[in-house]
Amino acid sequence: MRMIYFGRYLAIAIVMALAGIAIPIQIIRVQSSPEVAGITGQGAYIWKTFYPARGEIYDRHGHLLAGNKTVYEVGVDLTVEPDAQTIALAAQMALGMDPTEMLKKMTDVPDGTQYIVLDDFVAPDKAEQLMKLQENAQADPSGRNLDALHFKAHLMRSYPENDLASTVLGFVTEDNHGYLGVEEKYDNVLAGIPVTLLVPADPRRATEYPRIPPGQTLILTIDREIQAAVEHILDTALASTGAESGTIIVMDPRTGEILAMSSTPRMNLNEYQRVSEIFPGETPFNRAISQAYEPGSVFKILTMSAALDTGTVTPGTIFLDTGSITVGGNTIYNWDRGAWGYQDMTGCLAHSLNVCLAWVSTQMGNDSFYAYMQRFGLGHPTGVDLAGEDPGRLKLPGDGDWYPVDLGTNAFGQGVAVTPLQMVMAATAIANDGKMVYPHVLYAQLRDGHQSDMSPQIVGTPISTQTAHTIREMLANALESESSDALIPGYRIAGKTGTAQIPTPYGYYDSDNINASFIGWGPLDDPRFLAYVWLEKPQSNKAASVVVAPIFKQVIEKLIVLMNVPPDNVRLQNTGQ
Amino acid sequence: MNNVTQIVQKVRQAPWRVQRQWIGLFLLGLVLAAMVAGIYLNITARATLAGRQIQMLQSNTVNDEPDITDNRRISSDLETQLAGLTSVESMQQRAEALGFQPASPDDMTYVIVPGYTPRKAVDMSTPSSDQPQAPSLLPDYTESLFDWITRRLASSVPAGGQP
Repeated sequence: MRMIYFGRYLAIAIVMALAGIAIPIQIIRVQSSPEVAGITGQGAYIWKTFYPARGEIYDRHGHLLAGNKTVYEVGVDLTVEPDAQTIALAAQMALGMDPTEMLKKMTDVPDGTQYIVLDDFVAPDKAEQLMKLQENAQADPSGRNLDALHFKAHLMRSYPENDLASTVLGFVTEDNHGYLGVEEKYDNVLAGIPVTLLVPADPRRATEYPRIPPGQTLILTIDREIQAAVEHILDTALASTGAESGTIIVMDPRTGEILAMSSTPRMNLNEYQRVSEIFPGETPFNRAISQAYEPGSVFKILTMSAALDTGTVTPGTIFLDTGSITVGGNTIYNWDRGAWGYQDMTGCLAHSLNVCLAWVSTQMGNDSFYAYMQRFGLGHPTGVDLAGEDPGRLKLPGDGDWYPVDLGTNAFGQGVAVTPLQMVMAATAIANDGKMVYPHVLYAQLRDGHQSDMSPQIVGTPISTQTAHTIREMLANALESESSDALIPGYRIAGKTGTAQIPTPYGYYDSDNINASFIGWGPLDDPRFLAYVWLEKPQSNKAASVVVAPIFKQVIEKLIVLMNVPPDNVRLQNTGQ
Repeated sequence: MNNVTQIVQKVRQAPWRVQRQWIGLFLLGLVLAAMVAGIYLNITARATLAGRQIQMLQSNTVNDEPDITDNRRISSDLETQLAGLTSVESMQQRAEALGFQPASPDDMTYVIVPGYTPRKAVDMSTPSSDQPQAPSLLPDYTESLFDWITRRLASSVPAGGQP
């Protein structure tokens, strides 16, 4: 009996021993077998590129100007023998694609191709339509199927405000490259840095991905309420004056922060494909920075500032205007070809006398006059953080195309080309106690939850504080003496009109068209805003004081409300003055 | 008494009893080995499942449940949609529909309020500049049994390598 039991025990022991040995062997064999490794991806690594989301752009009060929206890549998995006919028909129905082309795309593929992209940047509604078709096809007893269709969601740039501030923002194409404006200037910052990683396919080796930082978020100095108001005023002005184009800039002259910048034409940035249609030929995308022009009499504020600063003249200096002056062998006349008799310097500005200002510049002389113009930053880009800036042109003595008469004509803004932003930057020196500030649209950058604000930068002090106070008082007096249409009751502002003839390629000036400009700022003793208005070729009138001054006034009226600027008496009462 | 002792000793030393003891010991070892193998399989399976879940969370496929990337994308998309609904044009239309009209300087009345600070530009900093980090995976979820044994042995050796 005992031998019988022993045999049974031995058999059980052998079986269990074999099982005990076999199990670990099997575990090791399974883990190390190439077939299983192929299935689980053990030892296999995949190169995977992570594209960070493009940084968003906000206005100064946190309103989104440029964000991202979901779109879909629609592809076909060729490893599951796709029903090409059905897919082509579905793509035609949902995406409006040519089925023949689709069929060709799915069949004419190199050997070994596993996946092809049918379409990308598909709108969610169309993709959802296609998904619905795919879902319905699964229940189709006929055998037709759309199982091979794959949808991959990703982000693309979107502009919720459509054309608002479009000339400032620029746009982003489907390849995630920024063009023009902020999008181009800060493309590297916004786009972020794609990261390629070797990712294990084996789930047991799953590791934590490093955090892929998204592109930096930018906060602009732009105020969308002011921007919208300015754009509305500009559009209305173009319609009422028949002007060919227009530009308005609003800046805080104390900091250089651009609060609004608009020019025509503008475009809905979500339809950037139309850019060549909306901006045909050499039409500038943003005239405020990209189109230099002869500004005319607004330039006189710089000439007079320079003359006061050098001591060439004082506000009380009397000039006898005989109606003409000869400079470099050429005769210069006033805008009305009239003689205005004895005028002090405020009168010269108030009546915008070319002859007087030409006399002032000749009294300064070439060296002094052009040194000051260069100190005002003319002839060089302002360095504004927007792509596509034009440097303008300030001819200097010694240049091949400079003539002695230029000293006289440059004094009243002829023969010199500036962009509206260059004029604005130069004028900040007058508005801001002699300190010229760097114009910019970037208020702050946001990275890892930390906001870095831009500090105002002073790029020079072309004139003294005393000179700045003197010239701004003269400009305010000049506006008031002329009862300018730019004036607003309760607010003292400084400003100057500019009516400029337009040079033709044939060397003479166009007698039918003008550039009408106005530059001004306020409140006079504590400027909160500086505005520049330029209309190109207005048809309703040929005088800036008639055409542009009321537009400037509309802008200021909006700014007063939107920026909460109280009348001078209330403000001074508040400050105890 | 001696007889009883001798009988007990004989029984204990009986060959069939010795063999049974050996078999028992062997079976005990076998059971222990099976338990270790079972624990190993259990841990490996759980680690694999956890790893797969992590991979799914990190992946970006539409057909799966929304993952981290999807949630970020959806959040960004919703923010843009919200911005579109509250755009200047939309808000103006809604304001006009409600009977509001743009204010002019004549409509404004200014009152001096001591301590009033004008509206400032936005500060979008988060309260803490440190971004919340995803919790790191514990080694328990990724290491094998052999890794665990190696780690435990290594941690049991004092610094300097002296036993």
